[in-house]
This record gives sequence, structure tokens and C-alpha cells, in this order.
Amino acid sequence: MSEFRVLFVDDEADFRETLIKRMQKRHVEAFGVRSGEEALDWLREHPTDLVVLDVRMPGMDGIQTLRAIKRDHPLLEVILLTGHANLEIAREGMQLGAFDYLMKPIDLDELLYKLEDAYQKKTIQEHKIKNIEGVIESRK
Amino acid sequence: MAIGSLFKKILTRKPSPETADAAVDALRIEFKDRYHSFKLLLSANHKALEIMAEIEEALHGSRPFGMTFVRAACTSVAVNVFSMVRNIEKLAPGKYGELFARFDAIQKSVDAVLTRRKPVADERLVIPLGEVTKEMADFVGSKMANLGEIKNSLKVRVPPGFAITARAYQRFLEHNDLQAEIDRRMQAAEADRVEALYNLSAEIQQMIIRAEVPADLTAAIRRAWAAMEIEAGGKVTVALRSSALGEDAAGSSFAGQYRSELNVSADAVLEAYREVLASKYSLQAITYRLTRGFRDEDVAMCVGCLAMVNAAAGGVTYSRNPVDVHDHRIFTNAAWGLPKAVVDGSAACDLFIVSREDAMTVVAEDIRSKDRKFVCYPEEGICRLDVTDAERLLPAITHEQAIDLARTAASLERHYDMAQDIEWAIDPRGDLYLLQCRPLQQRPVETVTQKSAPTADGASVIYRGGVTASSGAASGPVFIADKGSDVLAFPDGAVLVVRQAQPRWASLLNRAAAIVTEEGGFAGHLANVAREFGVPALFAVPEATRILRTGELATVDATGQAIHLGRIEALLHQAQPRKSLMQGSPVYEILSEASRMIVPLGLLEPDSPDFAPTNCRTLHDITRFIHEKSVHEMFNFGRDHNFSERSSKQLHYKVPMQWWVLNLDDGFTEEIAGKYVKLEQIACIPMLAFWRGFIAIPWEGPPAMDGRGMLSVMFQATTNQALTVGVKSKYAERNYFMVARNYLSLSQRLGFHFSTLEALVSERTPENYVSFQFKGGAADLERRLGRVHFIAEILESIGFRVEIREDHLLARVEGQCEGYMLQRVEILGYLALHTRQMDMIMANPAHVEYYRAKYHKDIDGLLAATH
Repeated sequence: MSEFRVLFVDDEADFRETLIKRMQKRHVEAFGVRSGEEALDWLREHPTDLVVLDVRMPGMDGIQTLRAIKRDHPLLEVILLTGHANLEIAREGMQLGAFDYLMKPIDLDELLYKLEDAYQKKTIQEHKIKNIEGVIESRK
Repeated sequence: MAIGSLFKKILTRKPSPETADAAVDALRIEFKDRYHSFKLLLSANHKALEIMAEIEEALHGSRPFGMTFVRAACTSVAVNVFSMVRNIEKLAPGKYGELFARFDAIQKSVDAVLTRRKPVADERLVIPLGEVTKEMADFVGSKMANLGEIKNSLKVRVPPGFAITARAYQRFLEHNDLQAEIDRRMQAAEADRVEALYNLSAEIQQMIIRAEVPADLTAAIRRAWAAMEIEAGGKVTVALRSSALGEDAAGSSFAGQYRSELNVSADAVLEAYREVLASKYSLQAITYRLTRGFRDEDVAMCVGCLAMVNAAAGGVTYSRNPVDVHDHRIFTNAAWGLPKAVVDGSAACDLFIVSREDAMTVVAEDIRSKDRKFVCYPEEGICRLDVTDAERLLPAITHEQAIDLARTAASLERHYDMAQDIEWAIDPRGDLYLLQCRPLQQRPVETVTQKSAPTADGASVIYRGGVTASSGAASGPVFIADKGSDVLAFPDGAVLVVRQAQPRWASLLNRAAAIVTEEGGFAGHLANVAREFGVPALFAVPEATRILRTGELATVDATGQAIHLGRIEALLHQAQPRKSLMQGSPVYEILSEASRMIVPLGLLEPDSPDFAPTNCRTLHDITRFIHEKSVHEMFNFGRDHNFSERSSKQLHYKVPMQWWVLNLDDGFTEEIAGKYVKLEQIACIPMLAFWRGFIAIPWEGPPAMDGRGMLSVMFQATTNQALTVGVKSKYAERNYFMVARNYLSLSQRLGFHFSTLEALVSERTPENYVSFQFKGGAADLERRLGRVHFIAEILESIGFRVEIREDHLLARVEGQCEGYMLQRVEILGYLALHTRQMDMIMANPAHVEYYRAKYHKDIDGLLAATH
């Protein structure tokens, strides 16, 4: 699996930093910010493949952030990762296009598989678009 | 999909060569995209089934679970089912759109069950005790409701005071936005690890203690305090006691789970209030709720505030014998000073037994040496004092007082029509005050005095005596606990030995075989919980921590009041199994109700007209429906697109075989344009494993058949369907392998039976599974059943979980490593060849035995060869 860049958005510094460290050990390029607002700023500046997003955060919550990300970066895949199991929010998140809704505590391998799957989905969609652009180009 | 149809259009025009190349590329990507969606769908299906199994296990097992588990499990199933709905929509846009509505409806009903809440009707934050009745249990907790009831209806003497209500507790949580944060921490903690629970408990308690009491609540408490002082006729201090909602629900005692603060001054009352609230998250309280199946959010912490009685003596009276329903006498434990010494189990206390005749008399007494007592400091707080030598051996109460207590207990019992557990204090003037009353749990087990019944070898006895706090006998390694942190090191199934019968040890009772204490009587909190959990408990064993040594095996016979060294089977075989405390509890009921919308499978027959989205009543139905359809959609897409790379290929193994292979993504080693695929061009790991098993051992053939060699047999068995080239066949009508590198779906019709095999095998161990379904045959039902059970037995012997419904067999194995899974696929390959027409011989036991032995031998050989 090729390398990908992941942004972790979580207001809990300990959790976020530990996760980033452990991801880096698995050769994932991982970065972290602590709020939805910071995430949006980050994404404007840095090319990113995947976002792992907490749901309950001060300021913009995960759902609002998800909505904004999907609006500004429709191809980016977002995984919600939360300590707050809530069926309604899970459904809302999935309907807004979240790739998955995972719950803490999470097995690291499981998270890694999800990231790989989400990244593959993103890659395929990008190929599709590139290809269709190519076809349209050739028919001009 | 819009892109797909666009390409169809482009392809139907006359394309330029570049466009054609791009179109082929596009189709390849389209196939890749579809396969990826299919894979996501399969993995979501697998996960959803796995969690459904966990839910089933929780409902049938004896392990306790909390709302955290319930919420996480239900949410996770729903998320994965939603993911399946989304991915089938990608595979067949618009075709099964109804599924979204079905999912939504089911999800909403599940959510309604999970979030159901009793509304609090009374908005008051504080209610004076003089206005409290037993109907107010939902606002002030049952403890305060009972106390208000006996004060106001029975005119029993109770100190003045007030209740801080459930509404106040909610107000406190909302003001500080605490509940969501608590839920989050509870979920994120790994509840299986005692250490994690320990930290969690400390963190949450700190959060509560640091939180702010809202101004309106503070004001309400101040006003009630002033009114209480008017009633008391002067300045008072108070005792703050928890009176949690649901404390007495479902036969639970909640005994001593929460904190009480004694002799609290007006200055410290808010502090003490928060301390009591925080104790909702003490380690023993969290463990207790978990074991008993109480929802965290249902346990609102109401707090009772009672003017402090400066007790000369205090204690607990039981209107019945808690460990013997046939004993009608009335039992009182008494100590010098505050009743805390009795309730805590922290000091020795006197016992008075009063007969229940009209003229009550003390029929037995046991006056102990009472070394310590608890008394109030003048300003606030309490202290432990040594009792003077002169007082130590004197009875703490007189016979008249014991009889007075017995009368009060009996009258409360008549009022409530239930045995009662009463905490009381006698002030220096000799006036009796009731501080608490609640139903007494009696256990319908053998009598305390039946000491001789289980005769064990007397040689093993190392101690005789003590008080039966909870009857029964159990054995385990001794563990002597002293400090709170010893809780972390306590091994499951050990015999807990402690000095004082303090409530804090209650958090170990769900893991302890038995408990022995040096001090404490049967009226203490710990004794209550031990009885409730059915853990044998022998109290008042002096020097227990010296008689016993950590690590040595001991048998505690609480009923017979003896401790033995070693494991004494004669005592243990009469031990009753631990009762499951979860069943009937609120958490259990919620999971049980939610599971009815999740787990049952109603959609069984894919060929039936009822197999439709509208008939999906549970999330399991939806997964079943989608899984079935997804396989067909994958198949149909390959068939419908005239795209030679992805059209089905006939398998070529030495000669063309009657097996077709459809490549979903990376199932071939190279792109193949022609009609055939050779075995060596197959990259699909599970298909190769299947084939290894299929060709490993030649089929002997049924007795009636002459041996014409394996290949001819295979031809015969697979060519009996009329297959006309060019006619669209359904997936189920031919022998198809659908393959990707790590995925195999095999649908085969051999002879007269039909089977499907699906396998996902990769280095992602937790996602691996092999599922196998088998149905039908030409023989009569009895023989068909014979074969199904025969195959089931073989599959079970190699680790499959097998379910049989009539002549339909469903076997599944999952979550094992790649090598293990491939071996199972290989054995299925072997069985596919060798069990055909097995139904024909099922009537002959000798034949059956012969084949059983042969198959087991062959399978052992296969397992050995690949290892």
C-alpha cells in the first residue's frame, strides 16, 4: 500500500500525539490539530489524503467540520473516531459521507486497515476523474 | 453510476483509437471501483455479523455489561449496515433504494430504545423531609422517600432535614456539561482492565469534585438549611447521605456503594454534596452497576441531608434473619457511638436477638469487646476513639432498647409488608432516632445453624467460628488485601481476606470466590452485597489475616462457619451456581429490546418472492439481503459488459473443465483475452487452496459407480445442466468461481445439491472468514439430514461454527490467520468432491462409519501436509 497523509483532529492532546507517533512508526505520514477550525486551515495549506476526526470538540464539532471538509474537499475521505457512541450522530455522519464511524478505544491495526481502505477509495475516485477528463479532452 | 453510463454511451459511438484506449482504462477502473465497493460491503457485513454475535453472547452469557457496551455495539452494527446499504447502492444504483428507508426506520426504533428516559416531573431542587412521601421515590431516591414516609405517615422519630433532588443532580451536571464527558471517558476506557477502571474512577470523581454547584441550587440548599435549624431549634450539623434513584430496584441493595458524609457544617455542605455525588463513580459503584446491569444515566444521585444525632449508641436492626427465611426473630447489631461502626463493618459490635411473640423478649445476645467507637467533633467531622476498658464489654444498649428497636422494626415491616433493614441512633438522653430504612433482602437458602450437614474431613479445618454474613461454600487461593491498591492485584476466583468489612472491598465481590473478614457483622454493607451476589462470606474471624496466607488454597464454608485448608470437594458440590445478576436488569432489558430489531433473521430463502427490502425487519435481514444481492450484482455486471478481460473464463486444468471463473479485480496473474484461464494463471489464494483440496485425493466413487477416473467423474457431475452458450445464465445455475486475489465466491451445483462457499483471506487476520452453505440432495429428507449432520460434524471438528436448519447447513469460521483459513478452504475443496451423493449411503451405518473414518484420516493428512 502506497503512503498516504493523514490528519488527526482531536482536542485530547495525549490521545492525538500517541496516535500520531504510533502511526508514524507504521510509515503513515500523520499530522495533528486540535480543532475543526484548525483542521480547515490545515487542509487549505497542506495536501492531505485522509482525515480522522473526533466528534465532540470545543468550537466546531465533528459533524460541522465534516460538512465543511466535504464541501471544500469532496474527494478527501473522513473517518469519524469518537469516544461518544451515539447512533443518531453516527447516522448523520455516514449520511454526510464519512467513510466510517469508529469508536474509541480502537485497535490500531483496525484503524490502519480502515485508512488503507479509505485511501484506496480515494485513489480510485481520482483515477476515474482523471480518466473522464482525458476522454472529454480527447473528444474536443 | 453516472460515469459508467457515460462510458457505455461513449463506447457505443464510433470511437477514435485514443478514446477506445481511454474507455478500456475507464472500464478497468470501473471494475476496480466496483470490486472495492464490494470488498467494503463484505467487510462491513463481516463486522456487523461479528457484533451481532457479541450481542447474542452478552444476552446469553454471564459476563456483566454496561450501557457503554450496549451503545457501542448497537451503533457499530448500524454504522456497518449503513455502509453496506451505501455500497450496494454503488453496485446497483437506485435498484434497492428502499433499503435506505428500511434502515432509517429500524435505526430510529433502536435509537428510541437506547435513549429512552424517564422524565423528572417535579422541578424542585430541594424538598423538606416533612413534605416527602413514598410516592416521591423518583425525585428524592427511595432512601429519602422511605424516611419521609415513616416520619410523616408513621410518626416515627426522624431528625429534621431535606432532600436534594434528582432534578438538582441533573441541574448540576448540565451546568458543568459533565454527562457527555463522563460517557466519553467511560467508553474510551478499557473496562476489562481493573487498572483502567481505577484511573477512570479517580478522574471522573475529580471532575465532579472540581465542578461548580449552580447558584440557584446553592440558594435552595441555604433556604432549606435555615428552615431545618428552625425545626431543630438551633444550630445544627448534618449527615449527608446518598439516596440514588433506583437504589432498591430489582432486589438490589446498592448497599454502601456511595459515600456518606457525617457531621457536616453549613460551611462545608456544598463540598460534601459534591463528594457524595462523586461517589457515584467510586470503583465499587461502577463495578456494582456493571455487574447488576444498571444504566449510569438512570442512577441520579439524590442526596439526603439530616440533622446530625450525636449518638451514644447506634446500629442496625433487621426485622428478619437475612440468611434464613425460616427464622422469624429480630436481629440488632449495636455499637457505642455512631452507627457507622456497624454499617462500615469496621469494628466489633454486639448482637441482640429478639423473639417475635406479643411479649417480645431478648432470646439471645452476644456482647463483644468493642474497642473503638465513632463520635462527633463539636464543630464538624467525626473521630474514632478508643473505648475505655470499663465500657468495652458493657452492652451498647439495654434489653428494653433492643425490644423497643424490635417493635419499631416489626411495625415498619407491617407497614411496608416486607422485611426491613433499619439504621438507628440513640442520643445521650436515650431518645431513639431512625436514620434510614429499606427493604431487607432475604436469601432462601439453608439455615445458619446447620453446621454439621456437610461433613468434611475435620483434619483440614483451621478455623471454626465467625458470623455467616452470606451463606455458601467456596474454594480458591487466599488473597489478603489491605490497601486500596491491592484491588489491582486481586486474582479472579481468589478468597478475599481483609481486616475490616469495609464497603470498598465490594468492587472485588464479582470476582471473589468467597470473603473472610476479621471484623464486622452480618448487618454491614459488605455483607449485604455479598448476599446479593451470592458470594459466601464469613465475618468476625479474629486473626484471619494471620491464620491464612496469600497464595495458599483454602475452602471457606460460610454456612458451616469454618475455614479449611485445601479444596474440600464435599463442601463444594453443594455450592449453588452464581446467579446471573444481569437478567431482568434495566441494561439487560434495553439490550434485549434493541437486539430484537437487530439480531433475528427473517429473510431466509433468496428464491422466495418475500426476499425483498420491504420485508427487512431487522438489521440482520438487511445484511442478509444485501450480501445475497451484492454477489449477484458483481456477477451480473461482469456478464453484462461485453468486456473480454472481465468476461467469465472457462477453467482449463489439463482439459477444459465445467467450471467458470469470473475475475473481479486481481484474481488472475495477467489480463486474459481468450476463452480459457489456466490454473497457473489464477492468482486467487483461496481458489488455489480449494483446488488443492479438490484434487488432493481421488474420489473412490459411490459403490454403484464404476471407477472411471476422477476427471470423468467431475465431468459427469458438472455437465448435467443444460447449458447453452449465449443464453444468460444465473449465477446459481453453473459452477462459478468469482475471484480476486484474496476473495473467492464459489457457487456450485454438484449432483443434486447446491452449495456456496465464500472466503476472504488475507494478512488482515481479523477480517478473514470462510463461510459455507449447503443444501439439498436427491435422497429423501431423512438421508439428506443424515448427510447434513455428517458434514456438520466434520466441519465442527476442524473449527467451523455450524448451524443447521432442516437440510440447510451454514458453517462459518473467522478471525484466524491466513494459513489456518486456507487449510479450511482446502478441506472444503476435498469435501466438495468426496461428499457428493453421500446421501445415498446414509441409510447404511456401516458405510457411514467407513466414510467417517476415511474422511477424518484424509483431512488429518491434508492438515499435516500443508503445515
